[in-house]
This record gives sequence, structure tokens and C-alpha cells, in this order.
Amino acid sequence: MRRVPHLAFWLSLFAALFLQMVVLPDSIAAVRPLWVPLVLAFWALQDPRLPTLIASFLFGIMLDVLFDSILGQHALACVLCIYIVIKLRSLFILFPLWQSTVALLPVWLIYAFLMFWIDGVAKHQADPWLRWLPVASTALFWPLIFVLLDSYLRRRQRSQE
Amino acid sequence: MNTLSVDHRDPLFPRGPGLGLRALSLLIICGTLIYFDFRTPKLESLRSTLALALSPVLWVASLPEHLTDAGDYLDSRDQLAAENKRLHDRQFQLEAKLQKFEALEAENRRIRELLASAKNLQENVLITEIVAVNQDPYRHQITLNKGARDRVYRGQALVDASGVMGQIIQVNPTTSVALLITDPDHGIPVEINRTGLQTIALGVGDGQALRLPFLPGNADIQKGDLLVSSALGGRFPAGYPVAQVFEIKHNPGEHFAEALAYPTARLNQGRQALLVWSEDHTDDAETIVSVPGPAAAETEVKKPATMPKPTVTPAPAAAKPTKP
Repeated sequence: MRRVPHLAFWLSLFAALFLQMVVLPDSIAAVRPLWVPLVLAFWALQDPRLPTLIASFLFGIMLDVLFDSILGQHALACVLCIYIVIKLRSLFILFPLWQSTVALLPVWLIYAFLMFWIDGVAKHQADPWLRWLPVASTALFWPLIFVLLDSYLRRRQRSQE
Repeated sequence: MNTLSVDHRDPLFPRGPGLGLRALSLLIICGTLIYFDFRTPKLESLRSTLALALSPVLWVASLPEHLTDAGDYLDSRDQLAAENKRLHDRQFQLEAKLQKFEALEAENRRIRELLASAKNLQENVLITEIVAVNQDPYRHQITLNKGARDRVYRGQALVDASGVMGQIIQVNPTTSVALLITDPDHGIPVEINRTGLQTIALGVGDGQALRLPFLPGNADIQKGDLLVSSALGGRFPAGYPVAQVFEIKHNPGEHFAEALAYPTARLNQGRQALLVWSEDHTDDAETIVSVPGPAAAETEVKKPATMPKPTVTPAPAAAKPTKP
């Protein structure tokens, strides 16, 4: 049986956190993809033995602290999205790449909606239209992340054999 | 190409709680956290501990920016010499202004003493560096490199050379987080400099403008009016410029007129800001400022409440540096 790629899992998550925090020009900052849920979703589809649910909680809390949002906001959205992905995993993995790009759109939508909703409950106003831009950019980045991490995993597997 | 690339199955007999139960318990933990963080200040210590633990992430995330900054070190000697000359000129002008200002301030103090007014014109300030900017485009917050160890306190006002920037909302041991006046959660009491009308300026949230939503329909306000901070509420020092009105909207059928203003502070430029100790907290800051001498003057400056607006004449184009 194949070994579980624990190191690659945690390293890629920290890389996602870094990409989420890195300084971007104002004009494109609103389009920044949701890196952390993106990478989490990849691993949730790739290997059910990885502790993706716990990791989504931990990294959600980290995002909350780094963004200074209400503690638990990003964590709640991450955990819920990853739960959906794991639950529908048997369906998602049958899709070819382009179909899975479309099929994952509702997950990013749920994530963006939860951000919007919890901010609304906490009376934190924000531009309601720009908030949905990351949904599109995340969907566009999904094939890229998938091909990148998948090719790494294949190479790793080949070297183990 | 199938998304399933390698064969693996779920274990035949899974151990431990099921997926649904685990997800549900995590969701409940998140919900409890949200509730307590929203309703009570109990989680502040947890948050500041986590923020301290995560400061390496912020540091790593700011590295690319520092790399681009490194290009600045390669400035040519000519440019540095030109800049040096320009700064010298400017300092000379400011010093000349300051001389006059000190005389005026002394005169003002004497007159206030005559009026038996206890108003203190002197405020203590501390120069701080902006180390990070919140990357969420809907939260206008900056992280500063001074914290509880420098006696920064929650609610402290933050200004720069041209106006009020915001206030401190969270104090960590060595850093602190400030909310800018353009954030939609922020409101600042202001006074229209020309007429003395008191009102409140709220952030719009687009990073550029402030909104004055509660103006009476017949308020005397014009395009170009300067808004200065008011001492109402006791949080901001009075008299600092805050914003300049650029648009006034009279909505027919509404009770209030609305005005929009641009902040005078350069909120998204520059690396430095000044923390101002208000009068209630000056006792705490006494120990910082009590060190006189040129060494202390670098970081601690005593300055009058109203800041002179530096008028800078552009450096003469012929300011050619001397070559060795």
C-alpha cells in the first residue's frame, strides 16, 4: 500500500497560507483565490487517510488570527467545505479534470457565502459584489493546483516503486 | 484523464468516530468560538497568543516585498546626493517654521494660563513602523512594530505627517494592530474647521473615502472644507486634520444630507506612523519621554497639538549632485 504523503500535505498547506498572506497590489487583491480551501480540497480528494478535517480547522483558525476576523469564521467555512468534499468524494473522483473544476464551484460558493454571512451577522460591511470574485479565480486555479500536486505525487510514487 | 489517479480504498473497518461526527464536533467548536468572540472579550488573550505564534508567517509573507525593496539599495550615488540635498532644504524650511511656531505656542500657553484653562497643548508621540498590512481587502488594518512593551494601549490614536490615520484595536506584546479611518467599522468624531460644526465621519470601506452621514439638511458645509479631529469622546487628540470634503449629496426626502471626504493622511503610502498619547494616558508615557538628549530625540518627539502643514517647494531642477 502506498505511504501517506504527510510531509507534502503539511508543506503544501503552509505554502497556501503563505500565498494567502503575500502582499498583492490593490487592484488584484480582491481576485486572490482561496488558496487554503483549494489545497485542502485537493488533499481531501486525493487521500482519505490524511487528517484533512483537523487540518482545515487548524488552518481556518490561523486564517482568522492572521486576518483578524471573528475567531472561527474561516475555520467554520473550511470545515464545512471540506466535509462536503469528503462526503461527495466518490462522486468527484470519477469526473475528468474539467468537470471537477465545474463540480467544485458550489463548494467555493458556499465558502464565499459563509464569509459574507458571518461578516453580515458581525455587522462588518464590505463590498457585496467584489466578494464573489474569489469564487471564479479559485475555480480557475483548481486545474493548475491539481496538475501541479498530482504530477508531484506521481513522481513520488514512481520513485518509491 | 480521471481525477482518481492512484488506487486506494477506505479501510475496511474504520476506527474512531465517523466522519459526520468529527465534522459536526468541529463545526460546533467553531460556532462556540464565533459566539464567544462576538459577544465577549474573553478570547482576546488567546488571539494575541496565537498572533504572536503566527508572526513568523507574517514575516515570511513580507519577504517578497522586502526583496523588491532591496532594489532601492542600489540607488545611484547621484540620486542619494540629490535626495539628501532636498531633505536638507526641507528641514531648513521646517525649522524656520518651527521657530515661529514655538513663539506662537508660548504665547498661546500664556493666554491659556490667563484664562485658567488646564488644556495641555503638549502631547507625547512615538514613531512606529508599519510592519504588515492586512491582506483581506475588506479590512483596513495595519500591524505596527510597537506593542504593550512600549506602553501602547487599546484605543490609542495613530497619525502621520498629514493627518489622523486610525486607532489601535489590539495590543500584542511587541506588535499592535491599528484600524484605519477608512474601514467600514470605524467612526471618528470630527469638526468642520471653517464653521466648527461637530459630526461623525465613518469609513466607506473602499479604502479611499470617508462618509459624513448625519449632517442636517441645512448644514453649512462646502466642497473643500477641512475636517479636523474633535476631542469629543476623548479618544482622538483635537485639532489634527482628518479629511477634506469632495462631494455633498442632498437626498430629497431624506432627513440628513451626506458628504464624502478624502482622508488627508497618506494611508497606503509610507512606512512610518506616529502613536499619540492622549492626556489620560500621558502619565504612563512619562517614563518614555523623560530621557532627554539627542539620542532620545530620534524616537521620541514632543510636539504641539496642531501640526503645521509642511509646504514643500520642489527641489530646484538644477540641484545637481557634486561628483567626486
